[in-house]
Formats: sequence, structure tokens, C-alpha cells
Amino acid sequence: MRISSNREWHWHLLLLFAVLIQLWPLLFMFSTSFKTMDQIFTSTLNPIPTIFVLDNYFYVLKNLPLTQYILNTLLIASGITVAKIITSILAGFAFVYYEFPHKEKIFNTLLLTFFIPITVVMIPNYLLVSKLGLLNTPWGVMLPQLADGMGIFLMRQSMRNIPKPLLEAGRLENASAWVILTRIILPLIKPAVIAMGIVFFINAWNDYFWPLLILHDKPTYTLPLALQMFISAEGGSEWGIAMAVAMLTCLPPLVLYLACQRFIINTFMQSGVKG
Amino acid sequence: MNGIIFENVCKSYGETKVVHNLNLTVQEGERLILLGPSGCGKTTTLRMVAGLEKITTGTLRMGGQIMNAVEPGARNIAMVFQNYALYPHMTIWENITFGLVIQKIPKEEIKIRTKKALDILNLSGYEQRKPHELSGGQKQRVALCRSLVKQAPYFLLDEPLSNLDAQLRLQARNELVKIHELYHPTLIYVTHDQIEAMTVGQRIAIINKGLLQQLDTPDMIYQRPANTFVASFIGSPPMNLLEGHMKDGGLWIAGNPIDAPPQWKALLAGHQQLWLGIRPEQCYLSATPLLSGLVESVEYLGSQRCIHIRLHSDGQQLLYMLPADQPIPSGTIGLSFSWQHVNVFDYHEGTNIGNPKILFHTHAC
Repeated sequence: MRISSNREWHWHLLLLFAVLIQLWPLLFMFSTSFKTMDQIFTSTLNPIPTIFVLDNYFYVLKNLPLTQYILNTLLIASGITVAKIITSILAGFAFVYYEFPHKEKIFNTLLLTFFIPITVVMIPNYLLVSKLGLLNTPWGVMLPQLADGMGIFLMRQSMRNIPKPLLEAGRLENASAWVILTRIILPLIKPAVIAMGIVFFINAWNDYFWPLLILHDKPTYTLPLALQMFISAEGGSEWGIAMAVAMLTCLPPLVLYLACQRFIINTFMQSGVKG
Repeated sequence: MNGIIFENVCKSYGETKVVHNLNLTVQEGERLILLGPSGCGKTTTLRMVAGLEKITTGTLRMGGQIMNAVEPGARNIAMVFQNYALYPHMTIWENITFGLVIQKIPKEEIKIRTKKALDILNLSGYEQRKPHELSGGQKQRVALCRSLVKQAPYFLLDEPLSNLDAQLRLQARNELVKIHELYHPTLIYVTHDQIEAMTVGQRIAIINKGLLQQLDTPDMIYQRPANTFVASFIGSPPMNLLEGHMKDGGLWIAGNPIDAPPQWKALLAGHQQLWLGIRPEQCYLSATPLLSGLVESVEYLGSQRCIHIRLHSDGQQLLYMLPADQPIPSGTIGLSFSWQHVNVFDYHEGTNIGNPKILFHTHAC
């Protein structure tokens, strides 16, 4: 939509307000992590600390096995991301370039999975992981998340945008399906794959409920679970420390998003507009 | 023998028949043009040769082998696509050598072939550029280059010049013919442009609505069209088709008796109604005209003028080409034509009845 310049400031004001609402918790978290306990309770809503302290961060780095939590989270998030990227690309490729019985029905069923709440599949997944003896392991967290309907949909849409003659030229050169996929298709949809991977990684990094169900021992915890320790009965009311952990938890996905937001926006705009 | 033979080849998409019972032989080393209007099935025919479309029924032979079930990559075909199909993420060098690398041709050989092809097509110096950095004409040459390095016995081109401007087309047509004469692959070229067909083709197959109308040399197709479709499709402006009939042993065109030579009268005896075909440039102004009419409009075409004439007798329209340096006629004019340039077509079937002097064959499907 193109808006004339004399009316633009109304929209900007509205957008600014929406952004502020979104950013307020982050700002609150950021400022609280640099406050003393006194300040937290006396000037709770003041976003600028009167005394700026790094004690909360020192405490977290000194007393928490933060490296362990980061490694756990990294392993699970990376595993899930890589697996989802591979399965999405291969399934998308099959949906676009192969003919097989009931192709459309299978694809529509896949789309249906978008509308099933995660809480519905949690119990059967939990039972499966439990029966496989994978409770309390990172594999138990990763197993039900190795494929993703949205990822397959995105890959299918991206591949459909590739002009057919490019692939036909490859077929005439006797290129195998693998060569066509890796040498022609993937380089052309690289931005979409990167964007999808980042979204997968951020979601897996921030995931709370599923790891909470599967991981019971503290050494296996991911960062969101470690954060939970400080805002539960166990952690008492250590808000400054809790906010410092929260800051460290959301920093990597935030940096990743800011670095690659161009890819992400382009990819989702394309799948929405052209799909 | 690296010829291509279609035997009763049909192609359907569900209930829709796109190619009807095609019988066609492309000789080894020949340049054959598939020419026809948009949607006539010419590209589908080419894609069946490439293996990119499955043949519904019939047999396709290449080099004596039945190819119906052979994968595109195993057919040893080089193809130039309408939009060139250059890989946008690869450099020109990578684009050209992609197929050779896949075929595991030795690196030295790849280098020699590619450099030679780049030289032939004046592309040296562009090796490290990406396709988006090239003009339309250069992209088209890269696509040709990619096909050239393959040195395949079959060369397929799907409207390769349709995205170029008129000047570049002329140049590219010459390049194409030169490339073909380098190693004489069996070449099939799809186009809807009759000038391209006439200049590039050694033979032309004219297709309409999935049916082969005529297979012949450009000259024969122009001079002796097999039917009224070919007569009106080839030539710009198209051939005049005047309605006529035989009465009391004489030929009547546009309501007037025409003094036809006796051998023509003999040939046409038995045809009550017919179409008389005369090319506009084969009419001439005459003091003892066979036809006369009123000049309606004049089109300037550069070296010639196209005069639109309404015949007096029955109002049929006739086109006449006049050299541009001659005075423009007005009012009523009289025209004649030489009988050796005349074609007569069956009124109902539209097929060429023949010519009493020249014996010719048509290859209607």
C-alpha cells in the first residue's frame, strides 16, 4: 500500500506505539538487569537505573553453570534446525518435482498440521519419547521436531518460483536429481533457506514447554529452563539475576535476527505474495 | 545415422490433443524448422524430442533407436531455450562448462572446447561475468555457446531469437547458420517467425492445430503452398485467395471469365468451385487486365507499397505490391498475373490442386 506523504505521520505514530508495546518488556528486562534489589522495588517502572551495577551479571557468570546451559541449548537448537532444514528441502523438492500418488492430499494434510495446537501433540509425543527411553536427554527434545510443516511449505513455494527451463537444462545435461538440487536449486533459494533456518533456530532456542517436559535434571537444562529457576519458588525473588539470565538467553537469537532480517522479511513476503 | 523420425506420434493432455499423428523425418545434419502460429504444437513436438514431454502414442526414433522411454540426459541433445535458461548464480564460464563437468570430460578438453566456442561467438572476456551483467544478445550467445561445447549430434532451439531486437536477430540468424555448418548437427528450430524460418531452414515443417500441413524447402513452401492455410500463413502480405468456379469448360474468377491456358483448364476440369492463389508481388499493372478493381488504400512498407484493391465484379479484396519508386495508382486499375505463379486450391478441402508445369509433392500428415 502506498500512502501519500502528508498522511504518513499518522501511520508512523501508530507503528511507533506498536513497536513500543512490543519493546517495553525487553527494555524493562534490560534496565532491571542493571539495577540493585533496592532500585527494583523502589523504582520498578523507571527504565533508567539510578545506580548502574553489573553485579547481577557477575553473579550469574560466577554461580551458574552458564556454559553448560548454553551448550545444551546450542546442541538442541542446532540439531533441530539442521534436521528441519534437511527434511524441509527434501520434502519440498519431492512435492515440486516428483509425481506420486495422492501428492496433493498429502500436501494438504501437511498444511493441516499448522492448525493443530502444540499442546495437543505434547502428550502422545511425551509417551513416545518416554517409551524410547529418551527422557532427560537432548535427543528426546529433538526427536519430535525433526520435520516442520511450515518449512516444507516455504521450501515448496520457493522452489516453485524457479523457472522450469533452468531445471530442464540440467536434466538435458544428464544431471542427477541430487546435482540439480544441490548445484541449481539450493544456490537459487539460499536466502530462503537461511531465513527459514534462523526462524527454526530462534524458535528452538526459545522453546520452553517441551524441554520442560523432557528435561528433569539441572545439568541437562536449556537456557529458558535455567531462567525459570529464578522466577520460581526455587529462585525466590532474585529479579535482577533473573533478568540478567533472561538478557543472556535472548541475546543470541536477537543478534541473529538483526543480522539476517533482510532474508527473513524477503522470504516470508515472497511466500505470502507469490505463493 | 543421426536422423530423427516421428512415426504416428500423438501428444495429448487429458482430452486435449496437441499433436495429431505426426509423421516426419529429419535427415542427419539437416536444419529443419518447425513453423506455425502460437499454440500449434511446435514447441511440444520439440520437447518430445528432448524427452521433456512424454509421447502419448507413436514412436520417436533418433539415430535408429526408439527413444520414447529414454531420459532427456541420455539422448545426447543440446538445447537452447526461449529464455536461455542460464543459471543466474553461476558465471558465464560455469554456465557453459556445467554440462561438461557433469559428464566428467577431462579438464583440459573442457578448457579447449569452451575457449574455442567463446571465440566463435565473440564472448571472450566475459567468462567471469554473471548472466545478469549481460545484454539480451550476449545471453543468447552464451546459451548457444553452452550448446555448442556439448558437440551433441542433435541441436534443438526453441524460439531462441524471440527476445532479441530486429538488428540482433539478423546477426544471430547468421551466427546460427555458421555454427550449424561447423559440425552439422541435426538441428530442429522452433519459431513462429516466417523470416527466421525462411533464412535459417533447409526445410520447413508447417504445423497448424497439431497437424503437419507441409514439409518442404522454403522456396517450395513459398511458391507452392500445400493448402490455403500455408498460402495465407507464409508471406507478408499473404497470398491473395480469390474465389472462382468452372463454368462451361472455362474459369471464372470474381464473376469474370478468365482466359486460362488450356493445360490449366484441363487440370481444373471437374472442380466446380476453387480458390485461385496469387502472391501480391506477382500481380502487375496491365492494359489488358485479367482483373480490375478500385484502389481502396495504400500501405507504405519501405521498398514497396501494398495496394488494397476492391474488385469491381464481386467485391473481393486483392493485394498488390508496387515498388515504392513508382507512382501511386488511384481510381480503377487493371491487373494481370503470370500463370506460372498461380496456385489453385480445392474449394472445400483447401488443398493445392497442382500445377500443370511443375510436379510437386506435398507431405500432408
